[in-house]
Amino acid sequence: MSSNNPSQLLPSELIDRCIGSKIWVIMKGDKELVGTLRGFDVYVNMVLEDVTEYEITAEGRRITKLDQILLNGNNIAILVPGGSPDPE
Amino acid sequence: MGSEEESTVREPLDLIRLSLDERIYVKLRHDRELRGKLHAYDQHLNMILGDVEEIVTTVEIDDETYEEIVRTTRRMVPFLFVRGDGVILVSPPLRTA
Amino acid sequence: MSGAAEKASTTKTPADFLKSIRGRPVVVKLNSGVDYRGILACLDGYMNIAMEQTEEYVNGQLKNKYGDAFIRGNNVLYISTSKRTLAEGA
Repeated sequence: MSSNNPSQLLPSELIDRCIGSKIWVIMKGDKELVGTLRGFDVYVNMVLEDVTEYEITAEGRRITKLDQILLNGNNIAILVPGGSPDPE
Repeated sequence: MGSEEESTVREPLDLIRLSLDERIYVKLRHDRELRGKLHAYDQHLNMILGDVEEIVTTVEIDDETYEEIVRTTRRMVPFLFVRGDGVILVSPPLRTA
Repeated sequence: MSGAAEKASTTKTPADFLKSIRGRPVVVKLNSGVDYRGILACLDGYMNIAMEQTEEYVNGQLKNKYGDAFIRGNNVLYISTSKRTLAEGA
């Protein structure tokens, strides 16, 4: 029934609409990344560009800037289209 | 080097294939390391190693000074099976070109 | 040009990315936080990786060097092209 609903947006379609724009990726565990989505596959492995990686460590928040990465989809928890609300 | 088909690395597991009967270094989860001769492996990276040195690293916090105490325990094992899912890294012996 | 063609030219799937980085210097970060820097020899669909001239960094400090290294794909968080900068946040 619900599969016939034309208004339903598949999760993969939502991600597809993010290609070319900023996306905020929250991993399982204390890691988050923000970057421009270039592409993804069926496992939601993602190619991201101009990435900022945030790691929460005992010493505080460690920030790493990366040109272009292939992110393993295995440990992704949440995707937020449009990027992080945090100011840079 | 690399003129024969057998010695080329086309996929990552070729690196393991080329290390058969050689001594390799294996880094495992939970701060465990192994050095031993690779007798056999499969696509999961389950491995059979011989004449193995196992190194276990533990970190304890001193009750009074709160300093980290790093301890390494070494032991020899004549023959063992490694389950592939615990493997982080495998490094073959240095091969000269 | 149609919008679809425009998009295709900027889209880079994981497969495209993997093709483009073979033989290049990369940083491989594991879920544990350990970094490996070296030359990417090859990789497969499990993200198993073979690297050359590999350096192991723990908390940004060089801990080990390996001539060749095989990294089991399940531990991989990301594979990055090598250029990058570091900053310690508050």
